[in-house]
Amino acid sequence: MDNPKMEVSIVQLRGITKRFPGLVANDSINLEVTRGEIHAIVGENGAGKSTLMKILTGLYQPDGGEIYLNGTRVEISGPRQAIGLGIGMVHQHFMLIPRFTVLENIILGSEPARRGVLKDKEARGLVEELCRRYDFKLESQVRVWDLSVGQQQRVEILKVLYRGAEILILDEPTAVLAPQEVRELFVNLRNLKGQGKTIIFISHKLDEVLEIADRISVLRRGRMVGTVMAKETDKRQLSEMMVGRPVFLKTEKSQPRVGEERLKVKDLTVLGNLGRPAVRQVNLTILAGEIYGIAGIEGNGQSELIEALMGLRKILSGQVLIKGQLTSDKSVQEIRALGVGYVPEDRHRRGLILPMMVWENAVLGLHRLRDFSRPTGLNFKNIFAHTNRLVREFDIRLGSVDLPVRNLSGGNQQKVILAREMSRDPGLIIASQPTRGLDIGATEFVHQQLIKAREQGRAVLVVSADLEEVLSLSDRVGVIYNGEIVAEFRPEEVTPEEIGHYMLGTKSLLREGVGA
Amino acid sequence: MRKRSKYLLLEIASPFLAIFFAVLVGALVILAIKKNPVEVYRTMFLFSFRRLDSLAIILFGATPLIFSGLAVAVGFKAGLFNIGIEGQYLIGTFLAALVGFAVKGLPAFIHLPLVILMAMVGGAVWAWLPIYLKVRRGVHEVISTIMLNYISYSLIHFFIAEVFMDKQQGLAPGVGNPLIRLPKIASTALMPKMHGFLSLFGIDLPDHVYLNWFFPLALLLAVGYYFLVWRTPFGYELRAVGQNPAGAEAAGIKPGAVFFKAFLLSGAIAGLTGLSDLLSYFGYMDLDFPRGYGFNGIAVALMGKNGPLGIVLAALLFGFLNRGAEGVQAFVGVPMDTIVILQGVMILSIVVFSEVMGRFIRQQEKKEGLQGSVVL
Ligand SMILES: Nc1ncnc2c1ncn2[C@@H]1O[C@H](COP(=O)(O)OP(=O)(O)OP(=O)(O)O)[C@@H](O)[C@H]1O
Ligand SMILES: [Mg+2]
Repeated sequence: MDNPKMEVSIVQLRGITKRFPGLVANDSINLEVTRGEIHAIVGENGAGKSTLMKILTGLYQPDGGEIYLNGTRVEISGPRQAIGLGIGMVHQHFMLIPRFTVLENIILGSEPARRGVLKDKEARGLVEELCRRYDFKLESQVRVWDLSVGQQQRVEILKVLYRGAEILILDEPTAVLAPQEVRELFVNLRNLKGQGKTIIFISHKLDEVLEIADRISVLRRGRMVGTVMAKETDKRQLSEMMVGRPVFLKTEKSQPRVGEERLKVKDLTVLGNLGRPAVRQVNLTILAGEIYGIAGIEGNGQSELIEALMGLRKILSGQVLIKGQLTSDKSVQEIRALGVGYVPEDRHRRGLILPMMVWENAVLGLHRLRDFSRPTGLNFKNIFAHTNRLVREFDIRLGSVDLPVRNLSGGNQQKVILAREMSRDPGLIIASQPTRGLDIGATEFVHQQLIKAREQGRAVLVVSADLEEVLSLSDRVGVIYNGEIVAEFRPEEVTPEEIGHYMLGTKSLLREGVGA
Repeated sequence: MRKRSKYLLLEIASPFLAIFFAVLVGALVILAIKKNPVEVYRTMFLFSFRRLDSLAIILFGATPLIFSGLAVAVGFKAGLFNIGIEGQYLIGTFLAALVGFAVKGLPAFIHLPLVILMAMVGGAVWAWLPIYLKVRRGVHEVISTIMLNYISYSLIHFFIAEVFMDKQQGLAPGVGNPLIRLPKIASTALMPKMHGFLSLFGIDLPDHVYLNWFFPLALLLAVGYYFLVWRTPFGYELRAVGQNPAGAEAAGIKPGAVFFKAFLLSGAIAGLTGLSDLLSYFGYMDLDFPRGYGFNGIAVALMGKNGPLGIVLAALLFGFLNRGAEGVQAFVGVPMDTIVILQGVMILSIVVFSEVMGRFIRQQEKKEGLQGSVVL
């Protein structure tokens, strides 16, 4: 085992096939993962990455093919068995109980107990030992609702380690993280690898993949294209393997031709969930024909700001004007009717009704339009025509539109929302994390769509945790820190490092008294 | 695709398996009282299905449960748990009875619809407070509707016994005690039986059968429920809010408003529950007016998986169990209490079994990655 010449494949998949109504998600896939490596899996949205991992963890049963662990054939009937075999999955959507402490969350479901009584001390000892061994910075007695996203993710990882996982599967773990948190995650992953754990890592961000992985496997439309050493490849080659054609990773923009004010925010203050101001005295103006980007580390008031703009959160003081109209006494419906397209950051909570069909979600919020319904009934013909048009224009990959939207791959779900929100000719587009979970091709596509919208004279507000995205898309960038816009730039005026300082609050421009 | 149909088949088969399971459990109960299960079930079956009057009585018995089942289901679809059907239909029935006896001289084609309307208004009014408390004050509807059920019992008692009791029941002085009941409902407000209509087809029902036009009305309402929930924009909003209120809200649907409408609608439908008995069987409302339709409605909606067809079938099953029980009581000499136990056991087994089955199917489907939704 210690002899590198005689590497044993800890996981071996042979000819794995999985069919869904209308498509083959995995088409006789072969994959070998070596013990102690970080193995990345990349591929377009809907390529079948998550499906393959769900098969490996027993969430889905394959229609064909075999799974070998350390050379022995296994049948994996469910996640419990998978973890028994040492395979643990860290889900993208955390499954933590916010009210419980870190410790309670970790041991939940496999508590050490004697005669039904929890062995509190022992559990705590075990968990703290884990934290020490892998150098995870976590307090075991803190409640999960007090943790940042990155810390919550660490709890999820500890959960599977606690259950004895040797193979950790992380499905798009970095999609929800701020750049610093990604750094910390990578430190953790390297530690785990150093201790002999095997990691399977899924991501759309090729830079990250190239940095962290030893080997990279590429899936395309359900098939395995190949596995390459991370050291011997680059972004260009990878994206070509993924998409089947070269991808232009640079966004081209013309000079902005701006028009009238579409969005004006004056001295806006909004309360957060804890009753403290989450947005403080924010001022900003967005003109027709420009893209305004908000950069900032998550949790600095972005979400509350957007919700307030959409009428989903009460305004404590200040004003919001959309196309010159005050929105304070308007409902969400009325605000949308002003011509606002809204791409929420949390697509499962705000953007979609997961159990409802794709076609039902394609008209969510538009369902009352004359095209789609009369009070007497929905116009199914038009709704399906509309849905099919969106599917075509946005290249949404799916087996059928008559399936719950939950069954779509993450990226394709996002495309459903984007397509829907762009379809009604919005004068103002408010997009939070518009490309989260999208592959490079789709990201490129969305960027083009946003730039096209701008060229058509629309105003666009983009909030993104991805600084590169904000800088490449925006005509102007506002940095939000602790609920305040602390600086405003044109992207060409600043370096990412400088913006980083503002994001961390170590520098402030617009507030007097705080010099730098 | 083949896999899909396998689960569809299983889904369709599961209620039958559930009934079979319930029959087995029921057999144990019958054995426990030292009767022969085969004989009991045979009697139950033959008595229910070999006699025309029994069939009609089953339909009559199912009528109120279709209404209450639909009322529960409308709430469920919006993610609301209306436990208050019980109180809502008692209040609805009371208002209907009030307008039935107090208003006189209207032609039937106005009086009867008016009475039906009052029942719906009564149900909706009784549903208003809990949903107001929920939407505005965050009081959970289960708590408030249970409390309102108790209030409705007392209120009805008060009105029947103290305020509106019929003091002129035409008894000869000294003969028996007068019933504690409201005055009789005017004939213009009574719902005709279906006897005349059915005799056109050569089906002659005896007089002790009270099958009336509320039954076809209930079926019609089930069809209407289907259209409302799956075909109209309002139904779309109902389901959206029921499945993800935050998502619906972001789309410009007001969850609070939808909750309100759905709950009032649920209450209005609940109001119809008692009418078949009131306007066709009793002709007046007394202190012993049938109770429990509301709670059985929850079981009906649960068994019927909130689908229109399922609800009608589940209600018919209840009707059958009741009628079959009468036969068993009369011919096999099983005491009534045992029969009530038997009914309870069967309903419980069916609900539990179909839930377990449903879970199994869903779990299997999940593994296959198929998650369709079947509307029955
Ligand atoms: N339960 C399901 N029912 C039907 N189709 C499904 C189901 N699950 C996945 N699919 C389809 O299978 C394909 C592969 O999905 P999968 O989730 O594996 O993609 P992915 O590579 O993880 O994509 P993403 O990068 O967008 O997360 C997609 O086209 C998806 O729509
Ligand atoms: Mg995925």
